[in-house]
Amino acid sequence: MPFINFATKEINCKIVYYGPGLSGKTTNIKWIYDHIKPENKGEMITLATETERTLFFDFVPIEVSNVKGFKVRFHLYTTPGQIIYQASRKLILKGVDGVVFVADSQEERHDANLDTLDDMLDNLKEYDIDINELPLVFQYNKRDLPNILPVEVLRRDLNRWNRPDFEAVATKGIGVLETFKEITRQVLKKLKK
Amino acid sequence: MLTLRPEEDEKLRKLLTELNRESKSKIVLLIDKSGQLISRSESPAFSSDDITFASLTAGNVAASEALSKLLGDKNLNHMFTETEEEGIYMILIDGKYILVSIFNKSVSNLGIVRVKIKKYYKKLVDLLRQIESRIEEESSIAEQLNVEDIDLDTLFE
Ligand SMILES: Nc1nc2c(ncn2[C@@H]2O[C@H](COP(=O)(O)OP(=O)(O)OP(=O)(O)O)[C@@H](O)[C@H]2O)c(=O)[nH]1
Ligand SMILES: [Mg+2]
Repeated sequence: MPFINFATKEINCKIVYYGPGLSGKTTNIKWIYDHIKPENKGEMITLATETERTLFFDFVPIEVSNVKGFKVRFHLYTTPGQIIYQASRKLILKGVDGVVFVADSQEERHDANLDTLDDMLDNLKEYDIDINELPLVFQYNKRDLPNILPVEVLRRDLNRWNRPDFEAVATKGIGVLETFKEITRQVLKKLKK
Repeated sequence: MLTLRPEEDEKLRKLLTELNRESKSKIVLLIDKSGQLISRSESPAFSSDDITFASLTAGNVAASEALSKLLGDKNLNHMFTETEEEGIYMILIDGKYILVSIFNKSVSNLGIVRVKIKKYYKKLVDLLRQIESRIEEESSIAEQLNVEDIDLDTLFE
């Protein structure tokens, strides 16, 4: 749910990176955080295990000012992809304004992609969020690895709503910005409706 | 969608600032359960990142709520965390918002904070409900927004 303050002229929106364990969600928002100008970002929070698996969430606040109007603040969250953290994933989706689904392109992770998408659909339903109305972008990550599925297969199985989608190598920043820009574009567009 | 009009923003901030002063807190914050900072007391001395603080608080409260549900308890009402020097008291408002007081333990204490929150609780709930019903009556806010010319490219170096 966006929060707009007409006194301070601020718009706040929540964007969640969802996807199976190790698909590269944290890598995505870490890359964004590392490449954004200091004056446009707040403090990054990482709640992770000792082996750098997300335990609860990562959080990055980003601020964009435009000259005439409002300051927009995007709150980026990642969910923990591991199956055991199902309850936490649901909590993080609360009040979401846009979702980036980060899929792992590797063949052996495709079942995990599908299960996680089901899990996301269940959680959205519990919050009464209609996926057809929700800003949504797909990212097929880890395109640098050898045993990957063709994009057409990933698109057919995951992107059933024909939303914008991108190939990515998040560790090198490839596709990361494109994905981020697309989801922010959709979220802002929905605000205007 | 939650929106605040300038006069509402001012009322909220005034209320939180009064509560902050009377409870001798360092800062009082009002957060929504999804992690957005809605308003805060005027506390120039508070130097931590309040946006990030809000996000963590909401996560903390959400996890504790889920825990208490798991234990068969219906509702979580409030919680308290402390560091060596500071106390952080969080209370749910109307099931939708979180009010947080951060206080220095050598300046205030949990008892004072709770008594003062009790004093302002109804005022705060009334104000929030007023805002909610104003939002419901309002039609579109789209024409008041000017987000088209936001240039994301300027964000990155
Ligand atoms: N080869 C390759 N490795 C990647 C890519 N993106 C991420 N990784 C690696 O995959 C591992 C997991 O990445 P994370 O970003 O931590 O994954 P996550 O989705 O946050 O995982 P959870 O927090 O457990 O849900 C790390 O070792 C990354 O360096 C990629 O595009 N290519
Ligand atoms: Mg992670």
